[in-house]
Amino acid sequence: MHQKPIIAITMGDPAGIGAEIAVKALSDPSMYAICRPMIIGDLDCVADAVGFTRSHVALNRISEPEEAVCTFGTIDVLDLGNVAPGEIEYGRVSAKAGHAAYEYIERGIRLALAGRVGAVVTGPIHKEALNLGGHHYSGHTEIFADLTSTRNYAMMLADGDFRVVHVSTHVSLREACDRVKKERVGVVIELTHTALKQLGIENPRIAVAGLNPHAGEAGLFGREEIDEIAPAIEKARSEGLCVDGPVPPDTVFAKARSGQYDAAIAMYHDQGHIPMKTVGFNLDAATGKWTAVSGVNVTLGLPIIRVSVDHGTAFDQAGKGTANPQSLEQAIELAAQFAAGKAAQ
Amino acid sequence: MDMRPIVAISMGDPAGIGAEVAVGALDEAKVWSVSKPLLVGDLDCVADAISIARSDININVIERPCQGLYRPGSIDLIDLDNVAQQDVSYGRVSAEAGEAGYQYIEYCIKLALAGEVDAVVTGPINKEALNLSGHDYSGHTEIFADLTGARDYCMMLVDGRLRVSHVSTHVSLRNACDMVTQERVGTVIRLTHDALVRMGIPAPRIAVAGLNPHAGEGGLFGTEERDVIAPAVREAQSKGIDARGPIAPDTVFARTQAGQYDAVVAMYHDQGHIAVKTSGFKSDDATGQWTSMSGVNVTLGLPIIRTSVDHGTAFEIAGLGRANPQSMIQAIELAAMLARGA
Repeated sequence: MHQKPIIAITMGDPAGIGAEIAVKALSDPSMYAICRPMIIGDLDCVADAVGFTRSHVALNRISEPEEAVCTFGTIDVLDLGNVAPGEIEYGRVSAKAGHAAYEYIERGIRLALAGRVGAVVTGPIHKEALNLGGHHYSGHTEIFADLTSTRNYAMMLADGDFRVVHVSTHVSLREACDRVKKERVGVVIELTHTALKQLGIENPRIAVAGLNPHAGEAGLFGREEIDEIAPAIEKARSEGLCVDGPVPPDTVFAKARSGQYDAAIAMYHDQGHIPMKTVGFNLDAATGKWTAVSGVNVTLGLPIIRVSVDHGTAFDQAGKGTANPQSLEQAIELAAQFAAGKAAQ
Repeated sequence: MDMRPIVAISMGDPAGIGAEVAVGALDEAKVWSVSKPLLVGDLDCVADAISIARSDININVIERPCQGLYRPGSIDLIDLDNVAQQDVSYGRVSAEAGEAGYQYIEYCIKLALAGEVDAVVTGPINKEALNLSGHDYSGHTEIFADLTGARDYCMMLVDGRLRVSHVSTHVSLRNACDMVTQERVGTVIRLTHDALVRMGIPAPRIAVAGLNPHAGEGGLFGTEERDVIAPAVREAQSKGIDARGPIAPDTVFARTQAGQYDAVVAMYHDQGHIAVKTSGFKSDDATGQWTSMSGVNVTLGLPIIRTSVDHGTAFEIAGLGRANPQSMIQAIELAAMLARGA
């Protein structure tokens, strides 16, 4: 029998809700049933979160993952000692917090590359703080790609069995149109197939969305379906993959969500993010606060496993004890599932 | 006095599920309590749909809307006598069915323009059949705009709390980016505001989505938000409209569903359609058939009221008695509501 995977949770920007949701998630025994979790961050920040959430957990300060006790009731914290108490103000952008967040991630990646942790789950960082801290990346994904020297990768959003993988992400919509090329679509189909297999799905069924309304309506509203997307699908099929498409974008996600497909491939950021967040996010209209944020973010194509929460630092509610750990719990579960699948291969 | 508005329902393409969803809807008491429904189509097709549905509803053939009984248990029908059901195979594209579908629509529009009916609800048509019959329109909306002489109009999808107006619809995504202009966004904000007031919302809150991811993230992923959308929002605000935005496209629909706004202005077809259909449509993964289709389509900016079902002719299940009338029921209810607010 394989041992439960070690999951390193990076604490995220210390001014955000990262430590709080990590403490809340690790106060749930079900997390320890599926993995051996530990936090990479600052002990002082985690201690503060334990205090204001009134959690009944002990903290175990470690400097190497092998020192972790991984027992429910005690949270192992690999303490990088980056920020001192009182140095960081909740909800404030700072270079110091941005740099600290970067170091947690960097350590997580190095440990995963060395095989000392089975997966990395990332807490939310703040892009402005990251850049102020001297790290010029547009987000986690780019840091992971860079530090693991990965060229072909893709972002997957997952909420239970509803999974969406993106051909492009943080570019303008016009540029996203330009990026719909058969090579790239083919790579994303392949990455998706591999990931679904790793999750234990024998013969993954993949739907590929069109780019244009009604999937172009036979060339009437755009030719990308004919010139780029259909050839990529044909090629994948000739390699034995079970791929449908191009499917009209406005119904493909309802079909995938109801179980007709194991994943849908979206041609651009919002094509995939809108369906995921419209069904997975709930808001309290009176307070303007999110009451449920489900869904996690996975980077496919890396040599290591990386799963992330699907929300930001929530600076407006940081330090108040009101943050919802649901997305982080889902991220830990999915990371454990991927790690188990990888170990079995 | 009977204040129920007369709602004319065009039967749609006779080879599709139009007659079936109309009969299904008119078997629902709630439709009759809010409207006087009047079907415009072919007697033979409606009779066939009634027998497929094993319904015991009667048909009352009339010539003019004022002759209708408008009582549950009987369908008031204007029979244009275009096709016999035996001439039209369910699920087959034909010029004959396309022509019939067009005639029902044209007739309904004339009745509405003449004030003989208060609103029009359209059943699904097949575009290929429509074009085969010599009517070169890309859909209902274009027919209505053309025959009523409307210039500034837009498509709104409605499903419960989610109401979404579209800056553009049936164009390529590249073309849709070009159609995001300050003038057009401003027009759609205004049309949306006026429609919501008619729906009984006195001070509607309108969310305007961005075009790019994260609404452009301060110009990093596109400049349309800064150059075009934000100025249109400010202009609407200066005219007293409660418009806000540009808001990140991936959260604006969840916010609206939760009640933070009364409607969203979407920048392109799929931005709005994905949100409405992912939350409103459900399919059975074993059969691949839609088990639930909610959502209604409204054309804003016309001189008459027009709503429509938000699904197609469903040729693959036409004539089988499995079509779901939910969207048709909602379309009739919304048309009646708009007519009362007019």
